[in-house]
Amino acid sequence: METVLYLTHTESDGSLGKPALEALSAALQLAQELDGAPPLTIGLIGGEVQAAADALAGCGAGRFMGVAGAELAVSRYSSDAAAAAALVEAAQPTLVVAAATSRFSRALPGVCQRVGGRIDTQVTELQVVDTEPRIERWYYRQRMAATLTRSQRPWFLLLAGGAFPAWEGEAGTAEVEAVPVDMPETRTRVVGTQSASADAHTIRPEADLLFVAGAGWTKKQVDGQPHVTEAEQCIREFVDAAQASLGSSKSLVDQGGEGQQVLSFMSHLHQVGQTGTTPRHRKGLATCCHGEEPHVVGWRFITERRAINLDAGCGWGQGKADVLYVADAFDVMTKVNELLGES
Amino acid sequence: MEVTRQSMDVDIVCVGFGPATGGFLTTLARALVDEAGQPVVESRVMPGMPPQVLCYERADDLGFGVSGVVTRARGIRASFPELDPAEIPMAHPVAHEKVLYLQDPIGASRRSTGVNLLDKLVSGGRWLLRYEDHAAELPYTPGFLRKDGGLLLSIGQFNQWVAAQLMGSGLVQLWPGMPVAEPLIENNAVIGVRLVDQGTDRLGNPDAGYLPGMDVRAALTVVGDGPIGPVGRKLDEHFGLPPGHHQRDWAVGMKMLVELPQGCPLEPGTVLHTIGYPEPEIFGYLYVYPGGTASLGIFVPSWLDSPVRNSYRYLQHWMMHPALWRYLRGGRMRSWGAKSLQESGLQGEPYLAGDGYARIGEGSGSTNVLTGSGVDEAWTTGTQLAEGVIELLRAGQPFTRENLEKAYVARRRGSWVEKEGRAAEHARDGFQRGILTGFMGMGLTGLSGGRLNLSGSSRPPHERVPSLVDYYRGQLSPETIEEVRRECTSAGTGLHEQLMERSGWPEIPYDGQLLVSHQDALLMGGKVQAPPGYADHVVFLSSDLCQRCQEKLCIEICSGQAITPGGDGGVPQFDREKCIHCGACVWNCTQARLDDPEHANIEFRAGAGGLHSAEN
Amino acid sequence: MSSGFHLVVCGSLVPDPLQTLEPVTGPAGPALKNEMMLPSVLDPWAGHALYEAAHLAESAPDSKVWLVSLGPKARLQQLMMSIAQKVPFELVALDGSAGGFTDPTEVAAVLANAVQGIAGLERDRLLLFGGCASASRDAGATMQMVGERLGITEQFLAVDELTVECDGSLKVLERIEGAQYQISVCAGPPAVLAWATGNLPEPPNNPQVGMVNMRSVMPALQRAQPAPVAAEGVKFLDVTVPRQQRDTRIVRDMPVDEIARELVDWIRG
Repeated sequence: METVLYLTHTESDGSLGKPALEALSAALQLAQELDGAPPLTIGLIGGEVQAAADALAGCGAGRFMGVAGAELAVSRYSSDAAAAAALVEAAQPTLVVAAATSRFSRALPGVCQRVGGRIDTQVTELQVVDTEPRIERWYYRQRMAATLTRSQRPWFLLLAGGAFPAWEGEAGTAEVEAVPVDMPETRTRVVGTQSASADAHTIRPEADLLFVAGAGWTKKQVDGQPHVTEAEQCIREFVDAAQASLGSSKSLVDQGGEGQQVLSFMSHLHQVGQTGTTPRHRKGLATCCHGEEPHVVGWRFITERRAINLDAGCGWGQGKADVLYVADAFDVMTKVNELLGES
Repeated sequence: MEVTRQSMDVDIVCVGFGPATGGFLTTLARALVDEAGQPVVESRVMPGMPPQVLCYERADDLGFGVSGVVTRARGIRASFPELDPAEIPMAHPVAHEKVLYLQDPIGASRRSTGVNLLDKLVSGGRWLLRYEDHAAELPYTPGFLRKDGGLLLSIGQFNQWVAAQLMGSGLVQLWPGMPVAEPLIENNAVIGVRLVDQGTDRLGNPDAGYLPGMDVRAALTVVGDGPIGPVGRKLDEHFGLPPGHHQRDWAVGMKMLVELPQGCPLEPGTVLHTIGYPEPEIFGYLYVYPGGTASLGIFVPSWLDSPVRNSYRYLQHWMMHPALWRYLRGGRMRSWGAKSLQESGLQGEPYLAGDGYARIGEGSGSTNVLTGSGVDEAWTTGTQLAEGVIELLRAGQPFTRENLEKAYVARRRGSWVEKEGRAAEHARDGFQRGILTGFMGMGLTGLSGGRLNLSGSSRPPHERVPSLVDYYRGQLSPETIEEVRRECTSAGTGLHEQLMERSGWPEIPYDGQLLVSHQDALLMGGKVQAPPGYADHVVFLSSDLCQRCQEKLCIEICSGQAITPGGDGGVPQFDREKCIHCGACVWNCTQARLDDPEHANIEFRAGAGGLHSAEN
Repeated sequence: MSSGFHLVVCGSLVPDPLQTLEPVTGPAGPALKNEMMLPSVLDPWAGHALYEAAHLAESAPDSKVWLVSLGPKARLQQLMMSIAQKVPFELVALDGSAGGFTDPTEVAAVLANAVQGIAGLERDRLLLFGGCASASRDAGATMQMVGERLGITEQFLAVDELTVECDGSLKVLERIEGAQYQISVCAGPPAVLAWATGNLPEPPNNPQVGMVNMRSVMPALQRAQPAPVAAEGVKFLDVTVPRQQRDTRIVRDMPVDEIARELVDWIRG
């Protein structure tokens, strides 16, 4: 008989993030579909966990367990791993479901190793067929999807963000069993956070639109000269006006390392594609970017896609975008900015 | 600015890793140690060790290109008597061979009176020949074209297979991703090579991370860098060619690896040669590998006198010829690439050896221009040099011109490569006078074993490529041509697509699989590697000459669309990130240098990267 | 104690990202079509880890870099020809699959075993580097498991920057949500750092580095032990390449103003 443990950590303010709520709805569904499985067990990790547990009180979980303490107010491998391992050992689940946050992506693989389990990450779908849990997960940087199941337990599943609906439900009062844990001595001190970019223009998960700037922005324009400063201005203006998330192709951000004149606010963190991110936005607009396959795999979860490129034969025109405008992106985006500015 | 260069001493340095160097190193490595692994001869630079042998290859990997060949594989089999083709991916014995004469099914091809007459004869005699889909099968394949008992190979896979064994031996070092800039010449002796500078701007000036190319000094420099290799070309510039020799005849071979459609009846080992279409001068081939794949391609020769010749567009029309399209429709491009072929054969042979150096492979004139065979010949010249080198090493004799002449050149002269190359020497001379004369000349040479030839004197491209106005006289007005030129220059494209379509060639119906735009072929068929920090390797020497040039054939022929019109219609622009290193620009430039009319206005220097075909 | 680090980098080959990948099902489960013939490159994130390791070794005297690579021996040999020219390292080769469908637990076991077998490796100087995920299995789990097997509980994932402070502590920047970095300070080795891109460009090819590396690379390849890795216990029911072909509307010859209007409507819609 399968038993499901849902693991979550609190955010710095003690609340639960959206990925955690998404993973919860997936875990609840899984526990429900597994015939004869007891209701879900919830395991919480954080500085304080009661508030978070209360927020989930109405989800129908059978049991709440928690590990709390000052050490767990921050994201750190040694303390997180100790806490998660203690919860798994206390709950003795066969399936462990959690969101692939940066914190759990770092800690849970090691926990899995510690408790002798197996782990799958990049999970985008859970299903139960004849009492057998099955998952869909991605390989080769989102280029291949596999449906699989496995015999080993406990089986850890790290769920990709945005793949499941976030759980919504009544708060209440949850009774949290405190699970004791021997906190290991740690040699790591978490100092804080800093913005990865000097500029506020980054990939913003909440944005509706992804704007991708390709290497063409820094290349020679019709007058035979590059116009990098103008390009920067045009892009910033648009991203501000449209409240868009800003991404780039690899070739654009690689130029920095090649000593070329580049867009000053672009770094590898903006890079969308095989060696970059795979953001989720409803719409995406690619400009001056050729739409090569390794870049477009990063668009896997962009629903509506448009592109502006001077080359009608570019990748976007070959079934990778819904609309390809064969035009000069400098001209078009300048005009778009004008129109957005008018309103 | 004086730069400090690192310098390194080795025993033998090789330039370029192709079949010739593969043959050289395979033969050499086997002789460097005895069965117990003890050095048979000692390194001069690292006493007690076997000779230090290094090979530098420009491309980012070994066996990087797509290239199907059919070869009798005599030299290769001599090196690997136990060779089992199954060991080499995609290798397969030749099973059926045929030659197809392709007629023009759409009426856009430029056929001379003679070719038209031939077309009529073929159509009239269709009951005698196997005639189907606008193509006639030659009743028999002439002996000189046949590759009985031979092999179909992917040269990429073959080179990788050879390289793996060589590296596994631990006796030679192969370094891809390292272009050699030039030979080091002192007192007319080659004393090694200089590697290319890294961390430079496009003009070669020091930039971030500047690392001056190292000098690799060696007692022997083995030059196997092919027909457009910078080391070979620099040697030719320095030493000149032997009297009466020239390197004026060339072709671009543009090739694809195609996944054949389901149910395609072609069997592995099938070899098709075609002549006659899309232009009568263009030869084509299709080789069928195991597993439902085929290597196919065309050769666009320097004697196709068109100022807008372009290999990619012709390749598409060729594939769509009904006699081939019946096999290819529904297929998918898996890989793509192109290279220049030196078609002067023995007439283009440089000095094969000098003090401190020896030339092997295609750049040494080893290609047989009658049989269209080059790989086995190149391999064999490599093995011949290795045998000579082993002899000299064992005897403790230096690599002087005299010694290399005796140990290597004499071996080569006495071999089948030379004998057959000699017989083939004038096989293509007839093409200088026209396509029919060319066919007849080849036939005559082939059937008489080289005793009878049709003559024709070779001219450099700039003397033979007609102007656009002359070429399209009667078809397109000078005004139309001017209009197309204006449009294309402002759009930054070549002229051939528009001019071909206006002169009767139909548009290509892209299917996203096999018929795709040239740009997509670059994306789907491979990836151009253009690592940062290297100087541009295609250089337009005199801007005046470019300004004066009306044809700009370099733009049309460019296999990667890396050369595009310059802003003012003058000096074209070169984009290193698209260059696939085919080298066609060098011999398609129609502007002779003022001080050296044998050479044209484009220099092809050492550059890193090139096309890494999707599959080799 | 010496101030130098013992830097062990785990990294292997992946198909060149530009290749078209197609899954096939073999007797041992899923694999890539023509897997042995696909051009391969050093796994990009592991590559960053290697360059960062070499950079760190250069700045901390008496440091040493090992590269632990699991892959088919012949393919590793080919890979070494390009990367051995980049930075100095000593190779530890493991002859096994570098495919994506292997299980991270199994891969971690052979990697950890190989790290433990490195002669002269000092644990209190050990920094274990790797990529934050591979471009093949793409799990982002292997390095943590290797660390766990080696008993290293100071671990960092998606690292972009490592600074050695004056007191010998390590300041680490990890990528976290919201385009932020988490800044942590680790007292010193041993630690596991799974790298994102870092900040270093790919080093140029240096023939002398190649010559030096080659002295250890070929013997290491000859010594390479078979390291069978698979995905024991996993049943693959289906592996597909998602088709995302769209019916692209290609808009040519539309005036710029009109395109801009259409785009603005779409953005607002």
